Amino acid sequence: MTVLLLSLLVPLCGGVIALGLRERAAAAALAATGAVSAALSLAAGILGFLAPRPANLVFGHLPYLGPLALGLDPLTSLFLAVTGVVFLAVAIAAPGYLPRYLGTYSLRGFSVGFHALLASIVLALAARDLITFFVAWEAMAVFAYLLVAYEHRREEAQSAALSMLAAGEVGTMAALVGLLLLSSHAGGISFAALEQGAASLGSATRWGAFLLIFFGFGVKAGLFPGMGWLPRAQSAAPASASALLSGALEGLAVYAILRSLAAFLNPLPADAGLLVLVVGAVTALLGILYANTASDLRRMLAHSSIENMGLIAVGLGAAFTFLALGHPLLAALAFVAALFHLVNHALYKSLLFLGAGAVDQAAGSGDMDSLGGLARRMPWTSGVFLAGVLSIAALPPFNGFSSEWLLIQSILRSVVLSSVAVKITFALAGVLVALTAGLAATAFVRAYAMTFLGLGRTGAAERAVEAPAALRWGMGLLGALCLLLGITPTYVVSGLGRIVASFGPSGAVGTLVPPFFSGRLPAAFARTFQAIGSHIGKGILPGPGLVLMHRTGPQGTGVAFAASPTYLLLILLVLLAAAYGLRLAFGARTPAAVRKPWDGGRYHLWPEATYTATGFAAPVRVLFHSIFQRTVKHEEVVENAFRVRIQRQPQESYVVDRLVSGPITRLGRAVADGLARLHHGRLNLYILYAFVTLLLALLVVHFT
Amino acid sequence: MWTTKGIPAGVLTRRRLQELSRSPGATPGRPVNRPSAPGGDPAAVCPTGALSWQGEEVHVALGRCISCQRCRREADIPWQPDALWAESLPGLEPTPRSFRHSLHVRVLDGGDGGETLRELRQLTSPYYALHRLGIFFTPTPRDADVLLVVGPVTQGTRQALLDTYEAMPDPKRVMAVGSAAISGVPTGPSFTASGGVSDLLPVDVAVPGNPPPPLAILDGLLILMGRSAAKELMP
Amino acid sequence: MSDMTPSAAILGALRAILPAGGVRAAGDEAIAQAGRADLPAVVEVLTRAGYVLAGIVLETIAPGWQCRYVFYHAARPGFCHIDLVGAEHDPLASISPLLFAADWPERELEDLFGIPSEGHPLLGDFVLHNEDWPEGVAPMRRSYDVRTPKPAREGLSWRPQRFVDAPGAFSMSVGPVYGGVTETAQFRLESEGEQILHATPRLFYKYRGLEKIAEGRPAADALLLAERLNGTSAFAHAVAFSRAAESVAGVAPPPRAEVLRLVFAELERLRSHVSTIDELAESTGLTVPAAMLSAVVEDLLRLSGRVSGHRYLFGLARPGGLAADVDAGEARDIAATTRAAAARLGRIVQGLSLDNGFLDRVEEVGTLSVARALHHGVVGPVGRASGLGKDLRAIQPYGAYRAAGVEVALAEEGDAFARLRVLADEAQESARLIGSALEALPDGPVQAPWQPRAGAALGWVEAPIGAAFHWLRLAADGSVVRWRVMPPSFTNWPALSSAVEGYAFQDFPIILASFGLSVSESDR
Repeated sequence: MTVLLLSLLVPLCGGVIALGLRERAAAAALAATGAVSAALSLAAGILGFLAPRPANLVFGHLPYLGPLALGLDPLTSLFLAVTGVVFLAVAIAAPGYLPRYLGTYSLRGFSVGFHALLASIVLALAARDLITFFVAWEAMAVFAYLLVAYEHRREEAQSAALSMLAAGEVGTMAALVGLLLLSSHAGGISFAALEQGAASLGSATRWGAFLLIFFGFGVKAGLFPGMGWLPRAQSAAPASASALLSGALEGLAVYAILRSLAAFLNPLPADAGLLVLVVGAVTALLGILYANTASDLRRMLAHSSIENMGLIAVGLGAAFTFLALGHPLLAALAFVAALFHLVNHALYKSLLFLGAGAVDQAAGSGDMDSLGGLARRMPWTSGVFLAGVLSIAALPPFNGFSSEWLLIQSILRSVVLSSVAVKITFALAGVLVALTAGLAATAFVRAYAMTFLGLGRTGAAERAVEAPAALRWGMGLLGALCLLLGITPTYVVSGLGRIVASFGPSGAVGTLVPPFFSGRLPAAFARTFQAIGSHIGKGILPGPGLVLMHRTGPQGTGVAFAASPTYLLLILLVLLAAAYGLRLAFGARTPAAVRKPWDGGRYHLWPEATYTATGFAAPVRVLFHSIFQRTVKHEEVVENAFRVRIQRQPQESYVVDRLVSGPITRLGRAVADGLARLHHGRLNLYILYAFVTLLLALLVVHFT
Repeated sequence: MWTTKGIPAGVLTRRRLQELSRSPGATPGRPVNRPSAPGGDPAAVCPTGALSWQGEEVHVALGRCISCQRCRREADIPWQPDALWAESLPGLEPTPRSFRHSLHVRVLDGGDGGETLRELRQLTSPYYALHRLGIFFTPTPRDADVLLVVGPVTQGTRQALLDTYEAMPDPKRVMAVGSAAISGVPTGPSFTASGGVSDLLPVDVAVPGNPPPPLAILDGLLILMGRSAAKELMP
Repeated sequence: MSDMTPSAAILGALRAILPAGGVRAAGDEAIAQAGRADLPAVVEVLTRAGYVLAGIVLETIAPGWQCRYVFYHAARPGFCHIDLVGAEHDPLASISPLLFAADWPERELEDLFGIPSEGHPLLGDFVLHNEDWPEGVAPMRRSYDVRTPKPAREGLSWRPQRFVDAPGAFSMSVGPVYGGVTETAQFRLESEGEQILHATPRLFYKYRGLEKIAEGRPAADALLLAERLNGTSAFAHAVAFSRAAESVAGVAPPPRAEVLRLVFAELERLRSHVSTIDELAESTGLTVPAAMLSAVVEDLLRLSGRVSGHRYLFGLARPGGLAADVDAGEARDIAATTRAAAARLGRIVQGLSLDNGFLDRVEEVGTLSVARALHHGVVGPVGRASGLGKDLRAIQPYGAYRAAGVEVALAEEGDAFARLRVLADEAQESARLIGSALEALPDGPVQAPWQPRAGAALGWVEAPIGAAFHWLRLAADGSVVRWRVMPPSFTNWPALSSAVEGYAFQDFPIILASFGLSVSESDR
């Protein structure tokens, strides 16, 4: 608990200190104080996880409303740890990306924003009553706005930040109304009171609150239909701020959804769970489609964040549905998958955003059509970015594989459900998720290849230099964590299982990590897996085995699915070593000649003759044309009756703008136009309005 | 559907090249040395200088013959109706083992009029069935064993030729197909075309003719595969 | 001397806009002297009267130059020649904005002679590639010695101009070395993704300078070069050259030679069309019909070899007639073999027309609209598949075609399938013409004595690819002063860009194969 309080105080101090420093020292100071603050948050998270019971600290009391409190329980501690890691990496990297703003924008301002954002997120995570929570939430929104609008002289940064704030506020208001509904039913504002009142909620209240809370917090989480601000904000913000948004802010929104749905609306009806599932699947698909066609690296990563948030929502929806239909083990499985995916996403998305920032800094542009060949110029950045790409494309041995695999498996487990309609919904969602996974691989192959491989398409790309050391350290930390979580999934799952048990169904650990090392499994069953080495490491490694497995059937001897990224990595290394050894022994005689690439006899390869990101995305654009509805202005330039040039200007169209923001804006304008007709300036009619209103008020009072 | 049409069409391939070369029209034949001249000056009839006097004998340099048939019609030079006249040049190294059963050929057009390319395409027709011998045309020089050049190498194709040769991995061979590739006839060394591939690259097998019939080209390819003995045409 | 009326009409129209003394009739030809400023009006008059451009002949006969624009009527017999003269460094006036078919000829003139056509926006780097030839070299000028060694290439480079200006657009370069067994040429396909937005062919990698090399050589040697322009239509080019030489000398070949020239020309056309259909089938991946068609081609090649001594009919046509005769047995051989080949072709084409997979790849693919075909002045089967009925055998008949009555194959759609149908129909018509010609083969010699004279004339044929024109100027001793070839491929290549726009990358090889053009003939 003390660590938690420290983790609140220290960033505030850090922010204050930053105000007093000179500009030049701000970056280094940010690295120091920011790292310390983030480390404290991480420590608080770890301690909270290890603590035997949740801690609570009441620091105030309001009459009629209830106590103001802070708390530290396993769920909060998970999110604190994730936030801490993300902020830590960004803080360490600060001396690498901040100095370019020296003289143009205020470095101290960034530092203040950083610290304040950290403090507000920690406060929101630790809040145990609605007032503290919403104060922290609004503070978070404000400081996020300041960070996104950091490059305030750029028009798009200002408008993107404003749209983020506006959409966020709408969502916050909706969620607030929902939570107030619950609070008025429960008679208090503390989380404890809300939890107690959950069981006795009427169906209408439950549904109303659910919709308001889910779609309200869903705006900040980047779920359909409130995700329109995300691509603009994350591509206009400085890359490190985008990393914070993806890693910590969206995580906070998911935390809010999770706590509300799991604790305050418990038990959630199955249909609500299905709604979450479907919304998540649709979000994921829309996100990845636009990620496939976006030419700007940061915008592409932003759409990918939307996709991953959608996948997390799919996991949550599946979990709630399983819970409502009486399958607590499967629900635990799905919760674990969703939380695992959240943790992984925070890590690799921050890594990718920092990498995108490094690329932008080195090559002067984030547009993939003007990059290329950076792997030779920036080998370290390229290598770590590749680790992030492999993680997000869900390839073993990185962490993305385990979480996405568990997610898909949990959807597949819907076969045990009895209702056909529910199974069909799961199946459709599963199809969308599978399609998303495939498209994600495509999108990231494109992102990595067009940015780092091939020839540099512009002079700036050819002159890029390696990223500064601090940036590399920050990215390296995240990359190492990606690999670590990838090869020790059983330990992560064990930890997450305990966290899930604290707010939801227990048994996740037992359902996913069979105790190969403990001898508690039926001997015959364990023996079948000894052939693949399930007993390796028994004496050395602590805790569970190294195989993720879901058991079914009588006595749990059947296997629904199993995988072991750890063993996979070991086998991979062994095979690579063997192949290399064979080559040394038998193949190294004929020397390989190095010749220039074959270019069809054209003397040399020009960069404009290589594939571009736009070209690579063409099949996706064509297939999903009905969603993209991209139009192109085609013009032929004629000189003396000769066609000398064709000019084309594409006009992109965002589906969310067409379906959501567009109609809302038009409706708002229509209403405003209608109301404007009332402002005609005729005094007599104004008096009439006042009279009519008074009459209505009297009637209302009379009849109630 | 095409299987049902193709099978009744029967088998046209003949196993032995000698049998094929006896089919009338499969080869135009070639002029051969003539011991003595009854009258007239055959050497003057030939527009490319392929005929020359060597003592009392009219000697044919097949690498300069463009099959215009003037010597046959106007100067009584005998023509032999054979087809297997590919020759290996002195620098030919022993055949690598990997060439014996499978040969990949990259064809480079250095300015050919189109007839030699057509004869090359005829090699895949059912009459000659190139693929049964393990010979394939490949679009990439990285997979190629043989660089088969047709046409006098023009100024525009010169660099492409050198680049293609450099892009091929060892072991590799060069084959000059057609009299134009061997000696540049009839355009000859000029302001825009060379006097043959040997001006630029070491040639291993040469197949004279304009165009050489498919059988002669096949003969040359078999020499490169080591399935046919290396031979000099005119000692 | 068949029909004076077209020439009279055009003579009247030309006299209205040109100085009267400069317009005269010579047989079936109208010849007009014009100045640079008159050209646009003249072109307007001619196009409205239905004349199309065959090509531009430039001769640097000291001092200065003589330029002849050769027009012919697209529906009736009749030629019209417009002559310009100029001093050595006078430029020409470009007529390409009015008559797009003059685009490539004018670019070629600027590169090879150093005489620019003013008003043409795209001069430079056409025949003489910038990375191979330094600026200022004009090899076709009299002063340039053919034996000059090839110029050094240090410091020369070239970078293509982008035609498409769009974010994320890139170009995919096919060639110059590409495919399995293909001619050296480069096609730059610009795209934003899967669809080709613009295709730029870059030819003349195979420029052998045949026109220059022929200068000063005896006509018989230049005939050898004419045959080797495009070996697969060697006989057609040889006949065109021979006809030009015969017109210069005022000699006509004997009737038997004319009929045999028709027979061999149609044999060559039949073989060339089967060969093009073979390549089209090959490009769509249908190896069985491609193999069957190449067997038919081999049969026709062997027939040619049996009857003339050379599989591609080299050395057969020459000024005055033919170099060799056929006897009765050979005539029967020709008739029987071509009949059988045409029958087999018909069965295979019928099979292709019923193959849905094949039709998917050729129907409505590579469409060359009538407007575009007219714009480019397309000749040959490509033009006839787009509805333009220009076939020199019918509209400017020569030799035995005057009596033969050729039925011209036509189609409307202009897609690859239409081109296939036109080729197949023409091949069947060729077989029919051969059969009926051999039945009525007149007796007599096949060679009329041809003595060279000084003079100049135009010879033309309908080659398998389209209308081919040879302009020949001889000196008194029979050596070539100027030989100008206007081959059909040179006219048709620009139309490929129009046919390819809007189709996917995968369609490109099919469209290319359906055009059946020759690079070597165009590059000369």
